Amino acid sequence: MRGETANGYVGIILVSHSEALASGLMDLARQVAGPDVEIIAAAGGPDGSLGTDGARVLDALRRGARGSGAVVLMDLGSSVLSVKAALGQLEDEELHRLQVADAPFVEGTVAAAVTASTGATAAEVARAAEEARGVAKL
Amino acid sequence: MLQSSEQARVALPSDVALHARPAGLFVREAALFTADVNVAANGKQANAKSILEVLGLGATGGTELVISASGEDAAAAVRDLTALVVALVE
Repeated sequence: MRGETANGYVGIILVSHSEALASGLMDLARQVAGPDVEIIAAAGGPDGSLGTDGARVLDALRRGARGSGAVVLMDLGSSVLSVKAALGQLEDEELHRLQVADAPFVEGTVAAAVTASTGATAAEVARAAEEARGVAKL
Repeated sequence: MLQSSEQARVALPSDVALHARPAGLFVREAALFTADVNVAANGKQANAKSILEVLGLGATGGTELVISASGEDAAAAVRDLTALVVALVE
């Protein structure tokens, strides 16, 4: 189903230990995918240090779980744990709108953003992100 | 309409590499077609609808691309992508 939301595109949620990492990746993904896809981030610990903030992750997932939904990409370790914990607190209706991609953070995010910009569904966007694992760089 | 295969050769503008933004434009255009679309450069082949494969071509300014498509709208895909490549600006 396409065009369900305000802007009709599946969004991207970045969960990272570092605000700088998420912000740089957001810039890169926007440059490649264009301005249509909404990308939001939950990055860094509660005090701005490196880390993850469960409340901020939950808030980002809630914001993404609207309309056409969103695909979640995570960097490492506790980002994954905080996403899993936040998913446990969402309503079924919200969960239906989210796809969590098991993908490399940079490559998966770029692939996801470009795919989302073509009007693809959340499942298609997540698949594009996960296919990034198999694409050789050299 | 019959299935068809089309192919065209086109060089990137001398000052535009098929990297971040230009590659994104190319892939998003390719995604508009139902045809299978491939792009080859530097002896490598990429699915034109995969940003990571297209970036992996490492096509720098002036590189010749071979765009090929098969499927119902193959001719339109090759035509539009060729036109997009010619018009790319940095």
